[in-house]
Amino acid sequence: MKDIYILGIESSCDETSAAIIKNGCIDIATVISSQIDVHKDYGGVVPEIASRHHVKNITFVLQECLERAKMTMDDIDGIAITYGPGLIGSLLIGLEAAKTLAYLYQKPLIPIHHIAGHIYANSLVKPLQFPLLALVVSGGHTELIEMQDHFKFRKLGGTLDDAIGECYDKVARVIGLEYPGGPKIDKLAVEGSPTYKLPVPLKDDSYNFSFSGLKSAVINLSHNETQRGNSLREADLASSFQKVAVKSIVEKTKKALQDTGIKRLIVAGGVAASQGLRNEIYKMADELQVEVSIPPLKYCTDNAAMIASAGYYAYKLGRRADFSLNSLSSDKLQ
Amino acid sequence: MKVLYIDTSSSFLYAGIVENGRLLVECQKYYAQDLSKEALPEIIKLFEISKVLPKQIDKIIVVNGPGSFTGIRIGITIVKVYAWSLNIPITTITSLEAMAISTHNHKYYVPMIDARRGYIYTAIYDDNYRPILLPQHVKLEKVLQKLEDINDYIVITNDDIMVHGSKEQYKPDIVKIVNFFKEKEAINPHFINPSYLKLTEAEESRQ
Repeated sequence: MKDIYILGIESSCDETSAAIIKNGCIDIATVISSQIDVHKDYGGVVPEIASRHHVKNITFVLQECLERAKMTMDDIDGIAITYGPGLIGSLLIGLEAAKTLAYLYQKPLIPIHHIAGHIYANSLVKPLQFPLLALVVSGGHTELIEMQDHFKFRKLGGTLDDAIGECYDKVARVIGLEYPGGPKIDKLAVEGSPTYKLPVPLKDDSYNFSFSGLKSAVINLSHNETQRGNSLREADLASSFQKVAVKSIVEKTKKALQDTGIKRLIVAGGVAASQGLRNEIYKMADELQVEVSIPPLKYCTDNAAMIASAGYYAYKLGRRADFSLNSLSSDKLQ
Repeated sequence: MKVLYIDTSSSFLYAGIVENGRLLVECQKYYAQDLSKEALPEIIKLFEISKVLPKQIDKIIVVNGPGSFTGIRIGITIVKVYAWSLNIPITTITSLEAMAISTHNHKYYVPMIDARRGYIYTAIYDDNYRPILLPQHVKLEKVLQKLEDINDYIVITNDDIMVHGSKEQYKPDIVKIVNFFKEKEAINPHFINPSYLKLTEAEESRQ
């Protein structure tokens, strides 16, 4: 069978990325230009600044990707693009680049939902097997998704307010950690003990999450401690926060696995990099005898390899877009 | 010599292909929104109607601003990827230059683009289209004061800007623009970027 090479392009937030993936699983070349240093000074991603940097970076990233792969556009079988969801101004840069290349080289244009990309990051390790449950945890998403086959998504639940990654970043700000604070909380939590009492969010029968209450509880706690003249035990706060946040995620995931009887769990998204979350997920999965797959760290955060990998399976299914494809800031996973 | 001209810096898409001073095809279309959806299909139509292939273009002239941030990025991204991948010489001009050059028979040309909150993007060009006031983001009233000292000027704008004296709607003369800039030095496509003339609000509030 002929090998299929998909060029993936991703620019939904603050990473400009291009990747070439062979047969949906072999990473030929992945280039990621991150803007973390640019946005750090603002305590978070500034959409207009992100868009400006994507324009500056896009051709450099594409060129480096092709050079590393020692390939030309003629060797590519299809172009997979994140069309949404994400920051609209950022998405547009990757989208216009992908459409232009697809037109100039007469290649199929394959539209990919960003969350589908995160899920398919796992197929860079091992092909997905169905049925599976996907836990997507990132700066913009906290979702439980059931898949019976490729691109057959059924959302079981999601966050009712803040995404888990967003909550990590906000708590980090309370503690005074620099953006992006999520990974720093994860590290700091190990040094402390969960001595502060915080509420476990949304203890109900749904598969939904809610983190805004937890975020407020941390802000109030910090405020009260300051009022009382107590200094904040930062490591303990990080540990206390992470304990309840992770508990909420793991409990809902466990419930979904038990209710559906699914024996395969994949975890995806930037927060899948959290060691605290990983430990508890593995513990729970052991107990239920569920097989867990978590992609390597480099495929957890936003990258084009996962988009190209998802693009391969979408290509096989005949999914195509024409040149009027538009970016969408929000869209149902499909 | 075939030249592709593209300007997505306003609510209009202005584009055309000019061959040796002759306009083969052009597009002047208003977009309330969804330029991102329509820009490339419209450009593809230019190639189809003129029967020119993208690789047969000898030069691309693109407007890199000032104007709508998102609009500029859409046009710039399309042409920089195009120029980079097919190795086509490319150069940029400002929307203000394009506006001035499309207008005739005055001593001074004053293109104006609304930048909101009392600000505009503007420049002043003499009758040889040389700038006597460089492109800038500036308070409208400051420019109006300056104009009091000049005779025989024309303001060119598509926006609702209150000015004294004569004012004209902008309608690009693509052939004239291309003829004026076709010899302008090409730039490495990697370095083709928008010229916003304005910092982002986040950057401004930090200063």
